[in-house]
Amino acid sequence: MDPLIVTQAINLIYAVSTLAVLALGLAVIFGLLGVLNIAHGEFIMIGAYCAYVTQSGRWPYLAAVPLTLIVCGILGWAVEWIMIRPLYRRPFDTLVATWGLSLLLRKIAEAIFGLGFYSVNIPVPGTVHFLDTEYPIYRLLLIAVSLLIVIGLVIWYGGSRTGSRIRAMVSNPELAQAQGISVRRLAAGTFIVGTCLAGLGGVMLAPLIPVQPFMGLDYVLRAFFVLIVGGLGSVSGLLSGAAVIGGVDSIISATSSATDGYFAVLVLSILFLWLRPRGIVAHS
Amino acid sequence: MRTASLIVLIAVALPFLLGPFWAYQLGLYALYAAAAVGVGLCWGQAGFLPLGQALFFGLGAYLSGLTFIAFADLPIVAVLAMPIFAVVSALLAYAIGVLVFRRRGESGPYFSMITLALSLLAFQIATSWNSVTGGFNGLKGIPGLPGLNDFSDVYYVSAGVLLIVLAIAGWLYTAPIGVLWRALAQNERRVQLFGFDTNQLKAAAFGLSGLMAGIGGVIYAPQQGIVTPQVVGFGLSADLVIWTAVGGRGNLLGPVIGTLLVGSLTAQLRDTLPFWEVLMAVFFIAIVLVFPKGIAGLADPLARFLKSRRKQPAVAAPKRLSSDLPARLVLNGVGVRAGEFTILDRLSLEFEPTGIFCVIGPNGAGKTSMFNAVSGELATVTGSIDLGGTPVSGLTPHRVTRLGVARKLQIPSVFQHLSIADNLAIALWSGRANKLQLLDPRLRRWTTPMLEDLQTRYPFLASAERKAGELSHGEQQILELAMALLTEPRVLLLDEPCAGLSPEETTAVIGIVRWAAVRLGGAIIVIEHDMSLVKELAEVVYVLHNGTLLAKGSVGAIQADAAVRAVYVGGEK
Repeated sequence: MDPLIVTQAINLIYAVSTLAVLALGLAVIFGLLGVLNIAHGEFIMIGAYCAYVTQSGRWPYLAAVPLTLIVCGILGWAVEWIMIRPLYRRPFDTLVATWGLSLLLRKIAEAIFGLGFYSVNIPVPGTVHFLDTEYPIYRLLLIAVSLLIVIGLVIWYGGSRTGSRIRAMVSNPELAQAQGISVRRLAAGTFIVGTCLAGLGGVMLAPLIPVQPFMGLDYVLRAFFVLIVGGLGSVSGLLSGAAVIGGVDSIISATSSATDGYFAVLVLSILFLWLRPRGIVAHS
Repeated sequence: MRTASLIVLIAVALPFLLGPFWAYQLGLYALYAAAAVGVGLCWGQAGFLPLGQALFFGLGAYLSGLTFIAFADLPIVAVLAMPIFAVVSALLAYAIGVLVFRRRGESGPYFSMITLALSLLAFQIATSWNSVTGGFNGLKGIPGLPGLNDFSDVYYVSAGVLLIVLAIAGWLYTAPIGVLWRALAQNERRVQLFGFDTNQLKAAAFGLSGLMAGIGGVIYAPQQGIVTPQVVGFGLSADLVIWTAVGGRGNLLGPVIGTLLVGSLTAQLRDTLPFWEVLMAVFFIAIVLVFPKGIAGLADPLARFLKSRRKQPAVAAPKRLSSDLPARLVLNGVGVRAGEFTILDRLSLEFEPTGIFCVIGPNGAGKTSMFNAVSGELATVTGSIDLGGTPVSGLTPHRVTRLGVARKLQIPSVFQHLSIADNLAIALWSGRANKLQLLDPRLRRWTTPMLEDLQTRYPFLASAERKAGELSHGEQQILELAMALLTEPRVLLLDEPCAGLSPEETTAVIGIVRWAAVRLGGAIIVIEHDMSLVKELAEVVYVLHNGTLLAKGSVGAIQADAAVRAVYVGGEK
């Protein structure tokens, strides 16, 4: 097989699987709590800065994972408590508030780290020989880890007690409360899971992208488009949305230009909003 | 008028008070303020938040900059082209609004995200399209506006432009279209049910905000002499939202105050105070959460003082635009489904053109769904609905309303934050005002003989300035009923008009329904559970069960009907 095609094919799989992980946290919070967290991208940014801090402290790369979970967890908890909880069921106000949060987090990052770009070293350098082509090991690893995270979360949500409580809360909060489920704690937990997932995505991607305060904007939009196209509330929706958005973007960016790719994604999303507002995998 | 002259006076005096440096700075921020007024129009009036408003500012700036460079020897051409470019921005915004708002239902977050994405896209195009935009470094060496000598001249141009934008906005806010924007921000569905195309109203708001941003942008290019991708990008878009919020989004002057104050403070403090922008972000969140009125909210008492209290004479409203002759409402084999469930199962029935009809049936029989199907809110999968021979099924709710079908919802849904007078006026405009008239403030003084009668019957309807939200539950029910009557419909659909009312209020509602039946001469269809009310009101009773018509007849006949008794086993009253 033509090595170039193989490389492009793996690139596509890589783009789609990482996009799925980046959208996962947004999907959890939007799909389960009905809160569109515009600051999602900034939690990805925080994860990336955690990776940078780990590296400059000369700790092993994996130390970035607990660091991110702690930072994003505490932040997620505080944010849910201060500005999300008072605004549940007021989607427009949460939209504005989380937009303000995204601004705040960006400005804090700017005040601490400055506007400059940082790069993070790839923790697992080198390539593997694969179907007549050389492919970076780290990217292959990312594909595997992304799939593991998505599958792991699905199994946990479908099988664990907490998962079934969350499902109860989503379908009928009052009834769930009456059944002795603490909806408040559960919603806070769900929000924290969402922010931590975003942070993890940031840690994973940090070695491959320039780390800077504005990086989150692009990701939150892409993640949002994945949800528009795929539809909320199911894994198949998330994956198909990621496949369409990631696929269209990589193919057009590779053949034309990044601007065209972005334009195509945007037009596609507007078309979906218009013609299939519930996405590819409609879920009642 | 007093407020307006005060503002003009301040605008003229500022350069003398502050000196040339500040005059120049304010000249720049006045242009941003023009765009911020547009953000306030969308957010504070129509209730949706544009996150990429710099797109329209920047588009105007680039177009104007390119023209000033191309016609450096003949600047008059560029000057004449400026209004056209502002209109281009407006049209782009309007087109985006039409495209995005066409999606039914809750479009708020989607709209905001798409405008954010568009602004990022515009930034990318501006940076990468080197041959036209000058790429990252932008358009440089744009000639200035001809005939301007010093900083204060530059300031007066900007201030004049800002005043024009404020005049447009102020006029729109007092015109019916402004009232409708504020109404749809509270309850979009209700505005549709009064016969207004809310998607078009929102797209118009967005288009006008694009015009205001475009106006600011076209002046920006010759004023600054340089246009870089920053003017279309995310940063300015975000600043516009912050300034609007801090100044007070719901107030005409709020965005201007916010822009001039925060904008110029930021320019001063950004470098000396490293956490200034962090502070502003915290301040923004605090405003959103606890003080939505912003700085302008502090001046509320002053605004009340300046407001003219002169009461102007009422104007007689014209007749309805469409036919108001009584008409027969016919449902023929109407089917409605929700997923697996059949809600209406080939329902066939007709209502005579005049009279009071009651629809009863157990919970889940499909009563409210029948209303929703008639008013165009539920799609029918089979059958047809027509009114006096005109097909109704398949029309959008606002079109059905214009044919003369009015509705009172089960939960009282008056516009809580609007005054009683505005609530009633919206009902009067329904079916009477054409699109252009929505720009005419005199429509707020419309009255009809029916309104005067209602105000005599219920004096609280004449206390114009009171907010509808301050009324008791019973008064809100009567206000909503009055609003439905004022549209002078051919068919009036009332969904449990007496739910939650005291016995006295119930008597009042029965009185008003009977009075309306005579007065309107059309059909009034009432969903009701309480058989004692049904007995008092109904000429004919329709019993629904499982989405079909079970029985039809006089109250006595229905009560004697064996099939009806079987459905109501256990005997409801």
